[in-house]
Amino acid sequence: MCEACLRHGTAGKWYLNAENYSNEIVEKYNLRDFLMEQYLNFEQMSVRKVGGMNAVGLGYKLQMPLIGKVVKHFAENVVHSQRPPKNPLQAEGHIGQVIPLDDGIAILETCAAEPIILKNCMCRYMSRGIKEACCINFGVMSEIVDKLPRFIPDDDKYFLTREQAIEKLAEFNKKGYIGSIWYAPYPYINNLCSCANPECAGLRPRVDFDMKSVYKSEYIIETQHDNCKGCKKCVAMCQFKAISYNITIKKAVIDRAKCFGCGVCIHACKNEALYLRPRDEVPRYKER
Amino acid sequence: MASKTKITIDHSICSGGKKVDPRACCKCMQICEPAVFLLHQTLDAEEENPYDPQLWSITPLWLSLCTRCMKCVDVCPERAVRVSW
Repeated sequence: MCEACLRHGTAGKWYLNAENYSNEIVEKYNLRDFLMEQYLNFEQMSVRKVGGMNAVGLGYKLQMPLIGKVVKHFAENVVHSQRPPKNPLQAEGHIGQVIPLDDGIAILETCAAEPIILKNCMCRYMSRGIKEACCINFGVMSEIVDKLPRFIPDDDKYFLTREQAIEKLAEFNKKGYIGSIWYAPYPYINNLCSCANPECAGLRPRVDFDMKSVYKSEYIIETQHDNCKGCKKCVAMCQFKAISYNITIKKAVIDRAKCFGCGVCIHACKNEALYLRPRDEVPRYKER
Repeated sequence: MASKTKITIDHSICSGGKKVDPRACCKCMQICEPAVFLLHQTLDAEEENPYDPQLWSITPLWLSLCTRCMKCVDVCPERAVRVSW
């Protein structure tokens, strides 16, 4: 079990504990004002200087001897912060975890606080200039987005019932978008995103710079070797380049080190050759 | 790659309130395979109105991931992008 689950899951996964979605945390940390300020400036976060440094050319900064290590340590400390958040201009305590569709449905069914909304993805907007309504928000975040017109979708339905939200999440997941939840800020969960790599601002540091901005899911993908017909459909579905086609055995093979356990490849497989197994069962890759 | 990639966008052409509003174009952002660019509200706008939604610009953010394919230079209708190393 991961550290977050031990601290915040009553008897299981941290994100399936309704306490982390409650308004009590909002009142305790005064998150209404904090989140409003943060989302007004959300796109600026990477160019704003924090401690004399911003994220422009982050890869080069990390390559510098010694300084690179300090930068990485500092940045990870900010996103992993468990103190009451102070500075809305930093991504304090803003850490996420990839989740498979079933867990996403469980969250929407039992944990997510009303009202539930569907908003434009800010990551896709700031990295591609494209407005696509595919982020599901709940609780106080819904009230905040209501005051920020650039996140409100034009044609898609904005307020969702639990059933509609589940339907939408399933639709995105089947399209190949990665389900992920976010502490924003710790320990309050208010985002259920359908991410894409490399557009997602949270996945990018993890995938490209090996910084723990997002945890891998509690699961890892596994193949049912005999069922694989070698159709290669799952290869195109994986956003982390974790699946490839082996021409000698004519079957799909998995690079487990790259697998985030999002489970979207399963939707592409018609032969039940892929399934998710708990990450803890694979000791080599049990680190989230 | 030994030397660092440098991407410059001429903000006298491509910036909110100037000739081109980057939010209406975004061609460089969409053609870039590793998604190096960031679209954001300008920091300079802060003195007058920190949240002026009209003032947006594009910054090349993830420079180390640039593959130097030069597609952003070719696609820019205003020739505002320069890539050097």
